[in-house]
Amino acid sequence: METDKAVSVSKLSRHFGKFIAVDEISFEVNRGEIFGFLGANGAGKTTAIKMLCGLLKPTSGEATVAGFSINSETAKIKKNIGYMSQKFSLYDDLTVKENIEFYGGIYGLSREKISGKTDQLISELNLDKMKNSLTKSLPLGWKQRLALSTSLLHDPSIIFLDEPTGGVDPISRRNFWRIIYEIAGSGKTVFVTTHYMDEAEYCNRISIMHKGKIIELGTPTGLKQKYNKTTMQDIFIHIVGRN
Amino acid sequence: MRQIFYLVQKEFRQIFRDFSMVRILFVVPLIQIFILGNAITTDVKNIKIVFQDQDKTPYSREFINRFVHSKYFKITGFEEDYTRLSSYLDSGKASLAIVIPRHFQRDIVLQKKPDIQLLVDGVDGNSAGVSLGYITDIVQQYQERLIEYSPDLSLQVKNIRRVETEPRFWFNPNLESKLYIVPGIIALILLIITLFLTSMGIVREKEIGTLEQLMVTPIRSYQLVIGKIIPFSILGMLEIMISMGFVYLIFGIGVKGSLLLLLFESSIFIISTLGLGIFISTISDTQQQALFVAWFFMIFAILLSGFFIPIANMPPVIQHITRLNPLRYYIVILREIYLKGTTFKDLIPETLAMVTFSTCLFFAAVMRFRKKLG
Repeated sequence: METDKAVSVSKLSRHFGKFIAVDEISFEVNRGEIFGFLGANGAGKTTAIKMLCGLLKPTSGEATVAGFSINSETAKIKKNIGYMSQKFSLYDDLTVKENIEFYGGIYGLSREKISGKTDQLISELNLDKMKNSLTKSLPLGWKQRLALSTSLLHDPSIIFLDEPTGGVDPISRRNFWRIIYEIAGSGKTVFVTTHYMDEAEYCNRISIMHKGKIIELGTPTGLKQKYNKTTMQDIFIHIVGRN
Repeated sequence: MRQIFYLVQKEFRQIFRDFSMVRILFVVPLIQIFILGNAITTDVKNIKIVFQDQDKTPYSREFINRFVHSKYFKITGFEEDYTRLSSYLDSGKASLAIVIPRHFQRDIVLQKKPDIQLLVDGVDGNSAGVSLGYITDIVQQYQERLIEYSPDLSLQVKNIRRVETEPRFWFNPNLESKLYIVPGIIALILLIITLFLTSMGIVREKEIGTLEQLMVTPIRSYQLVIGKIIPFSILGMLEIMISMGFVYLIFGIGVKGSLLLLLFESSIFIISTLGLGIFISTISDTQQQALFVAWFFMIFAILLSGFFIPIANMPPVIQHITRLNPLRYYIVILREIYLKGTTFKDLIPETLAMVTFSTCLFFAAVMRFRKKLG
């Protein structure tokens, strides 16, 4: 099923007992777009992203990711997406090279492809001197870039980033976003959650989640005009405060 | 298939990344076998005994001599003052006091049945019972000798023999508890190592977030389980061989039966410990929790296995519960193969029971694991 929508969500909900984490959200993400998912802590961002990645079953509603249903085709979705969470997801006690080799192997890449990708990544990330060091010895910013690169090993069409820059210094964050732009430039869709409002400016479109619902969706410029504010921060405080 | 290879490779790299794992694999069995093998003993030896000989005749001395020559007793002294005998028991200088009455010899010669007084420290009921048994033996032998050398008895009477038992203990002729305990320790080591490694290994990935990362890859949960099981079973088998090596080096106890059979039975047992480990990982979110829960299960598995407490001594309800414990069967199997050289044919009931419970436990755990991962 080919469509120009990378992600298409319709009335998606997730309840945990009586608590409604995600409340009938609907939206679409275009191919090649950088789509920002904003919201305060506990707004339901992570729950929503987990459902889209096939980590969590929805209570009700439907969504397609890369053209596959999250209710019935999670195995196919997993082959076509990359995922990087706020938790650091590499093995600290493996070397840089071993981590790349491992995730390459898990994604079913051939041996030649793995060694090719490993060399490529290591030179791209300037990790040549560190390739045989344990991953735990890397600075956090580098670790995150490495984690991002390993989640792209299998060349997915959509990449989900769940607060990828949490706890990273501003310069590393900027470098990180440079990479995100490169990824989007190569035709991949980037779906990113964040609560840094400056990062929201970098997105093509953003949605703001509050108490499980999407309360606003549009381009950063469009939202600024609509609310007559100059920064995303002001808009966020205005909208969330109002609700 | 290739995914599983990469999982196993990763697991081994992590396990042997630092030296601590190697240390655990070698030092744990060494210490446990050495210390527990020597410490856990049900043998009662060197029972400290104090005598009061009020008779001081050849007969009484001959009686005491029999204790001197027994390896079970150690004479700590002779006390003249009857009132002070109890102080020996109080202070622990002796756990047994024997009083030979005045006119012991005369009464025997006159066939008047003298009474010997025994004072036994009964705090450790088991040891007290065993020492009483030894004393009964000695008294009986003494009596037989008296009959044999009695000049007044006719040959006919002397030849009357009561029914006697002369036991021969097979497989462990000297009834050394070491022989019995040591195979059990091997089972414990295997239980501890595989149970803890599996549960903690999986929960650790949960903690650091790599498990979530793995779940967004196309990898299937059964592959994940297999990728965990293979390295841990290999480690388990390695551990059992290391343990057997130590048992041979330290105690000189070798396997009487088939080594191959022993390894085969061990692999069935490992299925249950891995299953339990996986189950524990599904109910724990942190490694501390996993450790605690694993400990909880381990204590029950050990206490209800017949390792320390004979199952026959347990209340009937508890006896039935022990039937659900794979360790119970495994310890029996290990002892049988180790000491008797029992062949597979005679171990079929235990093996079947172990296969049943191991696979049930394992598949229930894996089902739960898959459900948890969603």
